[in-house]
Amino acid sequence: MAVVTLGNGGAGTSQAGPDRAARLGDCLERAQNGEMGALSEVVRELNPLLWHVARGEGLTAEEAADVVQTTWLELLRRLQDIQSPRALTAWLVTATRRGAWRARELSRRQAPDGADRLELTPDPGPAPGEQLLSDERDSALWRHFQRLPERCRALLRIVAQADRPDYSAVAEALGMPIGSIGPTRGRCLAKLRAMLLDDPGWSAR
Amino acid sequence: MTDPADQPLDQQDQAILDRLAAIHALLDPPPADLDERVTFAIELDDLDAEVARLVEQQAVGSGARSAERTRTITFDGESRTVMITVADRQDGMVRIDGWLAPSAAVQVELRLPEPAPRRTVTADTGGRFAFDSVPHGIAQFLVQPPEGSALPRLVTPAFTL
Repeated sequence: MAVVTLGNGGAGTSQAGPDRAARLGDCLERAQNGEMGALSEVVRELNPLLWHVARGEGLTAEEAADVVQTTWLELLRRLQDIQSPRALTAWLVTATRRGAWRARELSRRQAPDGADRLELTPDPGPAPGEQLLSDERDSALWRHFQRLPERCRALLRIVAQADRPDYSAVAEALGMPIGSIGPTRGRCLAKLRAMLLDDPGWSAR
Repeated sequence: MTDPADQPLDQQDQAILDRLAAIHALLDPPPADLDERVTFAIELDDLDAEVARLVEQQAVGSGARSAERTRTITFDGESRTVMITVADRQDGMVRIDGWLAPSAAVQVELRLPEPAPRRTVTADTGGRFAFDSVPHGIAQFLVQPPEGSALPRLVTPAFTL
């Protein structure tokens, strides 16, 4: 039994995927035809994904929010060039990532006495937070997730926010090799899955 | 034996990813007003604009009266920079003093959420402009190009006053 107490964070399930893609495609087309209000639905759908891309690149919450917003503003000029929801997702992920690099470079240069802020705060991702996870399976999942290499954590954290048909587009936009996830499982998820299946805390039910 | 990494994604994988998304949404959620800020910022009638990034924001200490807070914000576009100082007024409003570089006597528009009307001023030849008695909340600047220039207008992200 999956106890859904956390809400689903905008993540797609396999059924919601095609529906969402069709809806986003419709909104995109309406926006391209001048109905700009249609973009706000796209914003609500994709903001969590972009937020985690920016945070995964090591930005503070404030920097991440600015980069996400600037990415959407930049999209306006490119809107007519984007042909599909999948291309839209890939474009936004790529632009957010580039914006995050720029912001990081900037804050590094602005840091007092040239201190490398990145070395001081290697991973601004979620705090340990385990006590917040009341569900036993979630605690098990979180525990094993933390044991993955940083690159895998960054990839899975972001891909999980996307829709299944977009997994590979997102992984590619993140600069991951083809096949890192979607349509196959890929190494990072295979590793996490193997750890979970060995853990009674996850697989008992 | 086949490498498990090469197997197609199945229900179990999907369940793992869905839970991961939910956990991250709980432990590191986007700011509650992110959707609102983005939606406000992209509600523009003309899409052709140069986007200025927020590059620096700092408090410059309180004014002569301790109730006054002052901060500076810098927005950097490819061709133009907007610097502003936001000072709290005693009546709960703020005053914005700004400077455009390179300087130009162009129109500067301050967008506030509806129903507040847009406010427009013209910068002086030194690029200086000001808005007084502005309410707290989100805001955005639109800067027109100099007359005869081929540049598009400049937009800033929405920021909080």
